[in-house]
Amino acid sequence: MTHLPYILSSYGLTAIAALWLSIALRLRLKRARARLAGLERAARAQERRSP
Amino acid sequence: MSTPSHDRPADRNPAREGPATNAGPDGGRRTATRRMTRKSRRLWLTLTCLICFSAATALVLNAFSSSIVFFMAPSQILARPPVPDRVIRLGGMVVAGSLRRTVEDNVPVNVFDVTDGQAAVTVRFSGILPDLFREGQSVVALGTFRPGHPFAATEVLAKHDETYMPREVAEALKRSGKWDPRFGKPPSAGSWDSMTRNEAREMTGRSAQ
Amino acid sequence: MIHPSPSAAAGRPSTGALLHRFANPGRFLRLSRWLFPLLSIAAIVCLAAGLGLGLFFSPADWQQGDAVRIMYVHVPMAILASSGYAALALCGLLSLVWKHPLADLAAMEIGPVGAVVTALCLATGSLWGKPMWGAWWVWDARLTSVLVLFFLYLGHIALIRAFDDPQRGFRAASILAIAGVIDLPIIKFSVAWWNTLHQPDSITLTHAPSMAMSMLVPLAISFAGFALGFAALVTGRLEAAILEHRAQQILTRRAGARA
Repeated sequence: MTHLPYILSSYGLTAIAALWLSIALRLRLKRARARLAGLERAARAQERRSP
Repeated sequence: MSTPSHDRPADRNPAREGPATNAGPDGGRRTATRRMTRKSRRLWLTLTCLICFSAATALVLNAFSSSIVFFMAPSQILARPPVPDRVIRLGGMVVAGSLRRTVEDNVPVNVFDVTDGQAAVTVRFSGILPDLFREGQSVVALGTFRPGHPFAATEVLAKHDETYMPREVAEALKRSGKWDPRFGKPPSAGSWDSMTRNEAREMTGRSAQ
Repeated sequence: MIHPSPSAAAGRPSTGALLHRFANPGRFLRLSRWLFPLLSIAAIVCLAAGLGLGLFFSPADWQQGDAVRIMYVHVPMAILASSGYAALALCGLLSLVWKHPLADLAAMEIGPVGAVVTALCLATGSLWGKPMWGAWWVWDARLTSVLVLFFLYLGHIALIRAFDDPQRGFRAASILAIAGVIDLPIIKFSVAWWNTLHQPDSITLTHAPSMAMSMLVPLAISFAGFALGFAALVTGRLEAAILEHRAQQILTRRAGARA
């Protein structure tokens, strides 16, 4: 197994990139959902105050 | 953040076209026709641009095809020898039985013939050959060539083929006499691609007896 | 946001209406709600199976030894790099010709994922080339055309975000994406048209694959896994982009009401 470092680095690089993309996506989705929910709540509250 | 074009008019949203369609039997059709024309004009314009651009690229690639090739074959090099000190790449298969290894000043020196089936050129390379180097393997050598002398290589790269085969299967094919890696490509994949490693070991064992 | 009334869409069975049925961001969000988790789970299952088989259960190659296992990452990345770009170009065409509302957002989200995949294809190829060929990199037609593809992705990512008016960015990026399609046949056929250090394709449409089944099966499963993962990432990113866009619209409306 003299080629082990090459094999491990290619799998490792791929794993790092995949994890990075999916964690970034999770955070982005969470942030976007929370922000939109907050804004919609505020908009509804404003509509109730000024009919 | 971006504001995508959800609200660009006309051809954007079928729902908004309600009034236009209801305006009259002809009015609706006319707007529809004009809209389709604009859409298909855009489509044709895009496709025409793409085709012109492809043609231009094809012409350029064709014109430069001699510099796009990564290496030259022995017969090409012998037919039209390059300028003596110009660095070129020579590619071909290592001739079976042609490899001679010696050591000069503690550096391994390898001399072997490279062929493309029509002509052969002797290559001389001092240094360590790549792991995949063997007789029957395709190689690419970087160096200079002078007619009457061996090709003086400064670098040798191994070019493996597109066949992927378990070791045991290769061993079985070699033992059964169906294939000698020193003389070229393995038999077509259909004859061995579903052979399991155990079957291959059995075959090897049988032919060894 | 648009609220197309179903009756209007149904009463007009043109290609436009058909396209716009799938263009509705609200509909996409409903789709994404179950499609995104489904794709993610399927990707994880396939990747675990395919790469597990490839790393531990598939045989070593007769001449490459264990280094052949790099194939189970490199080949899916290479196929996805090209297919991802084809998807980008399709988005460009849908945007330029049909003004498809989701196409621009999709192009914006496919670009970075495709660039990462292409970078991984180049990196794993390099890690495979060093022990096998004896070189990290050579300027042969296959490697160079894939490098060009990487720069096309980078150009697209930059161009689509380069203008203050997003519409101009979308337009410019669509044109780049469509023009760059030229690189895809060059990548595909480079190994056949010119002599290269890179070997020809093992899997073609015309011939039986020149690969043992015990290697082809893990390769197919890991390819399915990476493809599903790509689809999941793009779906999720598109969902996030639509949500961000909605939030932006609420803010704009609020600013307009205050003024």
